[in-house]
Amino acid sequence: MTGSRPTDRPQGADTSDPPDLVDRHDPARPRAVARVVTAVRAVVAAAGLAVAGYGIAGLVTHPRATHPAHTLRWLLGGLLGHDVIVAPAAAVLGVLLSRIVAHPYRAVIQAASFVSASVALASFPLWSGRVGHPANPSVDPLPYGRNLLVVLGAIWSVAAAVMLRRAVRARRSTDRPGRSPR
Amino acid sequence: MASLLGIWLGITFGTAFVTGLVSHFMQHPPGGFSWPSRPVWFYRFAQGLHVTSGLVSVPLLLAKLWTVYPRLWEWPPVRGVAHAAERISIIPLIAGSIFQLATGIANIAQWYPFRFFFTVTHYWVAWITIGALLVHIAAKITIVRANVGQGRAARAHLTDRISQPEPAGDGLSRRGFGLAVGAAAGVVTVTTAGQFVPGLGDTVLLAPRTPDVGPQGLPVNRTALAAGVVVIARDRGYQLDVVGPRPFSLSLDELYAQSLVTVRLPITCVEGWAADATWTGVRLADLLDRAGVPAHAAVRVESLERRGGYRTSVVHPPHARDPKTLVATRLGGAVLALDHGYPARLIAPNRPGVLQTKWVHRVVMV
Repeated sequence: MTGSRPTDRPQGADTSDPPDLVDRHDPARPRAVARVVTAVRAVVAAAGLAVAGYGIAGLVTHPRATHPAHTLRWLLGGLLGHDVIVAPAAAVLGVLLSRIVAHPYRAVIQAASFVSASVALASFPLWSGRVGHPANPSVDPLPYGRNLLVVLGAIWSVAAAVMLRRAVRARRSTDRPGRSPR
Repeated sequence: MASLLGIWLGITFGTAFVTGLVSHFMQHPPGGFSWPSRPVWFYRFAQGLHVTSGLVSVPLLLAKLWTVYPRLWEWPPVRGVAHAAERISIIPLIAGSIFQLATGIANIAQWYPFRFFFTVTHYWVAWITIGALLVHIAAKITIVRANVGQGRAARAHLTDRISQPEPAGDGLSRRGFGLAVGAAAGVVTVTTAGQFVPGLGDTVLLAPRTPDVGPQGLPVNRTALAAGVVVIARDRGYQLDVVGPRPFSLSLDELYAQSLVTVRLPITCVEGWAADATWTGVRLADLLDRAGVPAHAAVRVESLERRGGYRTSVVHPPHARDPKTLVATRLGGAVLALDHGYPARLIAPNRPGVLQTKWVHRVVMV
């Protein structure tokens, strides 16, 4: 993780593309392309509606297995749980972080937090003690709490190394004024 | 940023959908169709890819949702019919995406906090999610084309949503965020993929299975106790019935005496883990020949289990006639453990684990 450099350009704002790109083409061609794109979009959207409709039909015609009302609660629960709880909580944490942690380290902390949260979420049932099959020890057999700590330790060790490098660079650049401490 | 994440999510969700369909149609082949029994590794690869692409989607989906989250509160909330339709189509997409990842992660850990039956519900919600994804792609392709790829500047006039120059700030840059998402996907893969990649079993840290943990060094999904066969499977009066034009039976001693063929085949579970093992038994094709079952006939293998969706399985000719397909009685040279299907189980190449029927006592021509 090297952070952004002045040469980083966001997607789409790339001014290095030759400005005459449009003019080199036959002016009729973009319009023809646009018509094809519109037609393809309409077909894909219609196909998508048909596919989703097939899924809904399958869900409601197998009620003994799918419990449609229960499934709907889980579908909406996941959506609302994210939009109302998880995302705002992540935003608040992000703001708090930006208040506490200073400039060259902030990005590293944010990145390491994101990686940690992803790994923890993808293995949540394993380390949270929600599983355990005494009758079948081959299911979920590992000490997952310890393993999660090992993985998080590795992630934060890398983060610490990057921050250390940034600290060294920041000190060097204060010796040479006029350079960005990145 | 949102466009690039969308492309990557499209790839992982598309992969999960296709591999999920492969697994579904292997277990429920549409009329007249039968899967080949080779290559041996195909199902292991497809199902490992299914679970891995789902797990890798966790950081991608988080990143995507958090990138576009401010648009949830855009004002005015609705600008005309097309805009409203596009916004409504997002609801099943996000709800379905979160649902598929959450239920998949729960299922591979065998954690069931929900009342619906996992496989059926996961299957139908997959169709809903992919349908919503297609609608979303149709709605957003112009924005993606205007923001991604060579010559995107020429397409910039197609939309008003063009990525702006990065605002000066001290937080995570876009490139840094992209690196974080890639790192998260990498860590998730490295700590879990060992549960299906041959030889990497020791690298498993955060996956529900370790390929060499279980009775006789092999994981078990359904134990003899759970299947209710502990007593009946140990009955010395056991016999294997092979029912065809010339039906016959083998006693326990005869079956074990005739177990002379050894193969190396993996158990490849629908939950995404796979483990190699050495099996010894009788070739299914030899049993069928002796019973006079014609080469084009499918057979049904029946377990001692009284009930359950996986009590029997149909073996179509490609698998039934494959020389690697055994009615196995030994694992790693030792008598099969009760949890692995003693006195006999089916083991065939390129076949979902749930169809490798255990505690087999009858083979019947369909």
